[in-house]
Amino acid sequence: MKTEVGQRQDLAVDGLVPSTTMSPASVAAAAADLGRCYEEGLAVIPQGGRTQIGMGAVPHRYDVAFSTTGLSRLLEHEPADLTCRVEAGMRLGALQAVLHLHGQRLPLDPPHPEEATVGGLLAANTNGLGRGRHGTVRDWVIGVTVLYPVGNPARVARAGGKVVKNVAGYDLMKLHIGALGTLGVIAEVNFKVQTLPEASADMLAWFDTPAAALRCGHGLALGYLLPAAMAVLNREALGQCGVTAPRPWVLAARLEGYQAEVAAARDRVAAAAREAGGQVEEPAPMFWDAARGWPAAPAPAVVLRAATSLTGVPRLVDAIGTDASVMAQPGVGVVQVRPLPGMAEPVVNRLREALGPGGSVVVERAPAAEKASLDVWGPPPAGFALMRGLKASLDPRGVLNPGRFVGGI
Amino acid sequence: MEAAARTRLLDRLREVVGDRYTLADPYEIRLYQYDSSPETALPDLVVIPASAAEVAAVVKICAEEGCPLVSRAGATGLAGGTVPVFGGVVLAFSRMDRVLELDYENLRAVVEPGLVNLALSNATRPRGYYYVPDPSSQGASTIGGNVATNAGGPHTLLYGVTVNHVTGLELALPSGELVEVGGGRAAETTGYDLTGLVVGSEGTMAVVTKVWVKLTAVPPQSKTLMAIYPDVRSAGNAVSAVVGSGILPAAIEMMDNISIRAIEAAVHAGYPTDAGAVLLLEVDGLPDVVQQLTERMVAICRQHGATEVRVAKDEAERQALWRGRKGAFSAMGRISTDFYVMDGVVPRTRLPELLDQIERISQRSGYRIANVFHAGDGNVHPLVLFDAFQPGQYEEVLKIGDEILKLCADAGGSITGEHGIGLEKRENMRYIFSEDDLAVMDQVRRVFDPDRRMNPGKLFPTDGAEPPRIHAVRGQRAAARGSITGEEPWI
Ligand SMILES: Cc1cc2nc3c(=O)[nH]c(=O)nc-3n(C[C@H](O)[C@H](O)[C@H](O)COP(=O)(O)OP(=O)(O)OC[C@H]3O[C@@H](n4cnc5c(N)ncnc54)[C@H](O)[C@@H]3O)c2cc1C
Repeated sequence: MKTEVGQRQDLAVDGLVPSTTMSPASVAAAAADLGRCYEEGLAVIPQGGRTQIGMGAVPHRYDVAFSTTGLSRLLEHEPADLTCRVEAGMRLGALQAVLHLHGQRLPLDPPHPEEATVGGLLAANTNGLGRGRHGTVRDWVIGVTVLYPVGNPARVARAGGKVVKNVAGYDLMKLHIGALGTLGVIAEVNFKVQTLPEASADMLAWFDTPAAALRCGHGLALGYLLPAAMAVLNREALGQCGVTAPRPWVLAARLEGYQAEVAAARDRVAAAAREAGGQVEEPAPMFWDAARGWPAAPAPAVVLRAATSLTGVPRLVDAIGTDASVMAQPGVGVVQVRPLPGMAEPVVNRLREALGPGGSVVVERAPAAEKASLDVWGPPPAGFALMRGLKASLDPRGVLNPGRFVGGI
Repeated sequence: MEAAARTRLLDRLREVVGDRYTLADPYEIRLYQYDSSPETALPDLVVIPASAAEVAAVVKICAEEGCPLVSRAGATGLAGGTVPVFGGVVLAFSRMDRVLELDYENLRAVVEPGLVNLALSNATRPRGYYYVPDPSSQGASTIGGNVATNAGGPHTLLYGVTVNHVTGLELALPSGELVEVGGGRAAETTGYDLTGLVVGSEGTMAVVTKVWVKLTAVPPQSKTLMAIYPDVRSAGNAVSAVVGSGILPAAIEMMDNISIRAIEAAVHAGYPTDAGAVLLLEVDGLPDVVQQLTERMVAICRQHGATEVRVAKDEAERQALWRGRKGAFSAMGRISTDFYVMDGVVPRTRLPELLDQIERISQRSGYRIANVFHAGDGNVHPLVLFDAFQPGQYEEVLKIGDEILKLCADAGGSITGEHGIGLEKRENMRYIFSEDDLAVMDQVRRVFDPDRRMNPGKLFPTDGAEPPRIHAVRGQRAAARGSITGEEPWI
């Protein structure tokens, strides 16, 4: 199915608008549509809920808005197997609603779950604050069906399967997670899921310095009762989450598990926070919802994501200074940053200098005009020649998301 | 291999790793013709490098000479992954077995690929940390081999398999170039997840020369209980009930009567030899929590027909229970001269049906089939007992293996949960993958290894084309009787 769209601003990516939209309602139709793009050499931007469509460098070309939202069915869910199979355009929120009915969930908690599709979740590798304990997207995907732009119709190929343990064939799921749709269009995803935790609790601890808050969080991360989520925010970030701060820094923790476990964890977090000079309280109920959405700030905000080791976090937070709102995950090694207007460039540069070897600083969101000067992905990582090789092999005509990924891929 | 080519290769390799660690003597290289699977094949040469730089130099020479290359670590592989069916050079990792760094503050260890799995946790436990993936072979298999096969283990039910615990790799690419991929100590890096892609690729993309892994805090307490059942089916129902109750056990293992008797004969783990099946269940966590969960599990097991439930009273009893499980494969030697192990997976709810089907196959064929498996994730290890000295038995057993794997595939499962495809299951790949699926995998492989020189003859179906050098167990037995066949050259 192909529709001419004229100037559809609602389909724009970094200011570019497509000439065509495709919205297939079955995998076979999607293969036919993508096959035509391959044949005609049209530049395709696959898209689901568009919650992360601002990620990546400015595309070189954009002809077709390829929407996956017509592929929105839950194909299988066998509660007793703790697995499910869904079409890639299914909204995460809709999937979670079904799972919740059976006392289950996918423990991934990205911004805007009501709009975000599971395909987009994979492609953008969007991980919420729960990753310290529950891991990331790659830990929950057990199979994929992908459309590759070779031939007409496009090639449909699977990897992995429907069972939770499986080492047959290459783990191509890993290849597509975080690839931003540059190697194929994800059509179906198989997940393993989790039983809902018996109990949960949220805590805040106020600190005067980032060092004290981060040290406290790091210490908790090294111990056995790891909180499900931990974030250190400065006053600005906290304000953006709707909380007024009595002190300049806060350590927020979400605890999950069996009842007795959560009770013990709560005591442990409180004791550790007090020992580090913190002041402990329960957060407002809406805090975590706001915190979840914080990294997906609306335009024209600039949002950065830096990844480092656990011990590298304080150095990065230091480098940011007072020019930004900050949300750091001391148990993970990720620091998310929203620079004050006009400060994006110096903050990015300072972060990249402070990073040292390993890790990365990525511009997750920025107005198109600022993207070029910010160098969205930073220098290409080690192994980049292999990455280019993979792109050339799987998308030989370069029709998928041209130019949006690392190193101009 | 042509004599001249072999001599030239030998000379060049000796310059890199030294005479002592370059093996060419027919007697010495015989040791490298097998792993823990039934098939064997002789390499042309074996090198035992001491460093990543030496590995890279060896790989480069092989590239220049167009020579096949097979990595070999602990050789506990059960799918023939290390068997050099195209001859060439075998790279053995026995000298690259060091822990390079233990970085507790960042919850990471950096190790060489030849490090034995258990050695890592033994090094870190005094500090309260461990490396989670615990294949039953962990006393002999290596981190490098575990990475190449994406090994699982009893405790990967709750905590994830090898790929969930590996954060970075150093690779010697088929060209001889060394690259570090993945975040290593950092939470993430940019670009495609090459680490995740290479884990489980069974040595067909690159040689792993260094591994970054996660360290995890040791739970304050672990409790193991053994539930005893009159038959496999009731034990299976108990597994579903435990999982459905919301308890997340760290491990759920099942053994049937044949396995129990073999284990008791070999290890004296305290399993009841008259039971139809036993379950081992483990929970870990804070002492209070562990106590509560144990009580709940005991109740569930009883409700589902357990004739008895024993909770390990102390660490010694707990270790004894696990010694039984982890020694199960080798214990089969007590009751059969040979066994053939499979590694199928089905959705957990299909387990009872599969076990019935296996039982019927056993009755029809007359071969005893023992079952030892990771019940919590539907990963079964049927062990077909046979005698390789009896002509035709091995061939029949292979057919039974195919039949069981087909049943797993048809039930929505997989043909391997943790042992890998290797040589053994390459034709079975078609049970679960289409031509297109395989074509994409081959494309990806050739981005790394355009000539398919890394571990050739593995993982991909060859549609019946026998690799040049293969000798099945029947060959070994024949050899034992003094009739060795000659080897074909790879050039
Ligand atoms: C008694 C017994 C119990 C077992 N239990 C389990 C279990 O519970 N779970 C499980 O998953 N497996 C189990 N296995 C299978 C086996 O132990 C695993 O597959 C293990 O990961 C193999 O490790 P290894 O060091 O012996 O590797 P090897 O057998 O030497 O090699 C395995 C594969 O890895 C490749 N390889 C090795 N090193 C490298 C490297 N550095 N770079 C690239 N490729 C490399 C080889 O080419 C080969 O394809 C068991 C085996 C036995 C004998």
